[in-house]
Amino acid sequence: MKNYLQKSTSAAPLAVFRIALGLLLFVSLIRFWARGWIHELYIEPKYFFPFYGFEFVTAPGEYIYVLFAICALSALMFSLGLFYRFSSIALFLSFTYIELIDKSTYLNHYYFISMICLLMTFLPAHVYFSADAYRNKSLAANTIPQWCIDSIKLFVCMIYFFAGLAKVNSEWLLEAQPLRIWLPSKNDLPIIGWIFNYTWVAYLFCWVGCLYDLSIPFLLLKRSTRLLAYCAVISFHVLTAILFPIGMFPYIMIATALIFFSADVHKMILVLIASLFGKTKELMFPNNNFKFKPVRQSLLISIFSVFFIIQLLMPFRYMMYPDELFWTEEGYRFSWRVMLMEKAGHAQFTIKDEKGKIAVVDNTEFLTPLQEKMMATQPDMILQYAHILRDHFSNSGWSSPSVYVDSYVVLNGRLGKPLIDPLTDLAKQEDSFDHKAWILPFKNEIKGF
Amino acid sequence: MIGKSKHLFVFVLALLLSACGGDDDNPTPVDNTKDREAILTHWADNIIKPSYTNFSSRLDLMITRSEAFTATPTVATLQEFRNAWIDAYTEWQKAELFEFGPADKYTIRNFFNIYPADVTGITSNISDPSANLDLPSSYARQGFPALDYLLNGLGDDDAAIVEKYTTDADAAKRLAYIERIVLRMQTLINNVITEWNGAYRDTFIASTGLDIGSSMGAVVNAYVLHYERFIRSGKIGIPAGVIGTIVGSPFPEKVEAFYKKDISRVLAQIAHQAAIDFFNGKSFNGGTEGPSFKSYLNALDAKDANTGTLLSTIIDNQFTTINGKLAQLMPDLSQQIGTDNEAMVDVYTNMQTAVRYLKVDMSSAMSITITYTDNDGD
Repeated sequence: MKNYLQKSTSAAPLAVFRIALGLLLFVSLIRFWARGWIHELYIEPKYFFPFYGFEFVTAPGEYIYVLFAICALSALMFSLGLFYRFSSIALFLSFTYIELIDKSTYLNHYYFISMICLLMTFLPAHVYFSADAYRNKSLAANTIPQWCIDSIKLFVCMIYFFAGLAKVNSEWLLEAQPLRIWLPSKNDLPIIGWIFNYTWVAYLFCWVGCLYDLSIPFLLLKRSTRLLAYCAVISFHVLTAILFPIGMFPYIMIATALIFFSADVHKMILVLIASLFGKTKELMFPNNNFKFKPVRQSLLISIFSVFFIIQLLMPFRYMMYPDELFWTEEGYRFSWRVMLMEKAGHAQFTIKDEKGKIAVVDNTEFLTPLQEKMMATQPDMILQYAHILRDHFSNSGWSSPSVYVDSYVVLNGRLGKPLIDPLTDLAKQEDSFDHKAWILPFKNEIKGF
Repeated sequence: MIGKSKHLFVFVLALLLSACGGDDDNPTPVDNTKDREAILTHWADNIIKPSYTNFSSRLDLMITRSEAFTATPTVATLQEFRNAWIDAYTEWQKAELFEFGPADKYTIRNFFNIYPADVTGITSNISDPSANLDLPSSYARQGFPALDYLLNGLGDDDAAIVEKYTTDADAAKRLAYIERIVLRMQTLINNVITEWNGAYRDTFIASTGLDIGSSMGAVVNAYVLHYERFIRSGKIGIPAGVIGTIVGSPFPEKVEAFYKKDISRVLAQIAHQAAIDFFNGKSFNGGTEGPSFKSYLNALDAKDANTGTLLSTIIDNQFTTINGKLAQLMPDLSQQIGTDNEAMVDVYTNMQTAVRYLKVDMSSAMSITITYTDNDGD
């Protein structure tokens, strides 16, 4: 182990990863901006759904544009390796802050980006082929500790593996849900569309998708299968890009998986880039080993160990809760569970006060369509919204208003049914990490993870 | 760039598939019932366009009668105008649900059927012939509800009403306002019909996806919105006092066609039946069923996993239950509310169940997002 931690390797793969990640994030942010989503998601809403424990993160109003500008600029600087310490921290903090503002926008791939940016703030991704190294020759180095690159590989492997593990259940493998609902909606695609009319295609996609996620880490790690595995990565992610609205994520994963290739491959990529600038010599060939000071190295190793232990445990925390994970969603987020549920709902809230006043809430007066859609199927958001309503009616002169919800949720093609106990006064319930006893039982079984 | 690579990929995948599939020259869909183009075509040609054509002819007749009335306001011309108004209003119930495409573009419902009529606004518009009728505040001052007030609400009997158009000081201005609003209805609906008869029909049929801006997505959203907000809430829930900011006290004056009194139930019944017929894909002329929500749900095999009952059957059964309950209400819903509001609330509750089947079960089974935002998922 000690030997391993002292091992050095080429700095090229991490440099390529830095360049690609920064550029793709920059493009993602510009795309987000250009589509008007900043306004739609962070300015239009009257209320936000912060994460439990992160209530201090609030929407900054019109200044959200400044935040996005900082985030995009730091992504660009990050990519160039310019003021890397500063730009990587700025990128991590600004991106994460944006993601923490509203749960309704939660996506696993945003969480992935936050976490990878966190790791990158600690890694010496700027010592090679960067603006910083170009300006400061004493910083420039062509090797870095091997564990630095391996930790990125490990994280990527974990994501794929956990995503695969989450598919090992009766819904996905035995019922082909939710793909058997989603795929027919694409039966009008040119040339291939017609195959989605067949249920067996959904089964095929489910099984192949599950095996892909579970095996791809190992296939990418092994030199003999790497090229084939990378072709599979490209096909898989391009296919998901065609079939599902998942934005830039497929391209980020395709770029990320490059990290598994050897240093020679990355050097070839860098030569190509360097020739654009005509600075091949200065950028490519420093001759210096980058090593952390022993104290710093031990500190980093400890931080990374804690990080990976948490990452290892997070996807399993759902086991501490009773009832079905897909139904209660207690322990669902931050666990690489993607594309597992076709869940939709409708929640109608009734407010009653002590003097007998009753109101039925029009959700559109309080929430955006996206917020309403997300709230209707997720118990913790239903509770947050109930508290928003309680406070609103309280401020408009109702005396200690009670909040009740008449909810209706469908999950993976089952007939809909109420999610929340309609007799529970949600105004009096508090959020916590405990099981929410006012979620009605699922009364159905999904076997597996 | 991304688009190009997508096409290339689809092409390569297609090559691979046809290579293993063998049947290379004719990979046509076997399962036509999931063919959304067929559904869209049936809707456009056999339901939407005929509905509009039929409504338009009733509206034209109403305008002819209104002209006869404005030329010589008598009890007889009033009654003929009123009968033509009832006919057109009834027929409108079968067209109001198509608030997508051109109708959505012109927000036609806002100008045809927002009630209760704004009596103060109508009165002030009568004295100001150039009043702006495009503003949201003017919605309830025009269309069928305004005519309801002008034909039925100005006096205790027909003689008293006719007086308002003959001897009253504002008689000429009232007649002018009637003329203005009926011609406006004709202009607006002609805009919509012209588009459907023109290029829009092909655009509608060609958009076979289910994502943002697709025809099917727009239709499902408009259909569910219509059922929820304009049938369940508008015709039943709001007057019965079960929905809104302050619940409990009913508002009998908020029923549809409040001044005519005895047609509010039949309007609700016809609107409800139109929603049912659309669900089942019943052709406007002839009444045979074609590709529809029902056939599509059946093709997707959407059903209650516990009992095996098809979702479309569950929905149709709920519709039948509601029809039965609607039929038992009094013809004048405001009277029903005053006498036995529980019966109204019962209809509302049953419609609420139907809303859930449509809005949650149906849309989820079809993989359609009900309240769109064009955003990434994961």
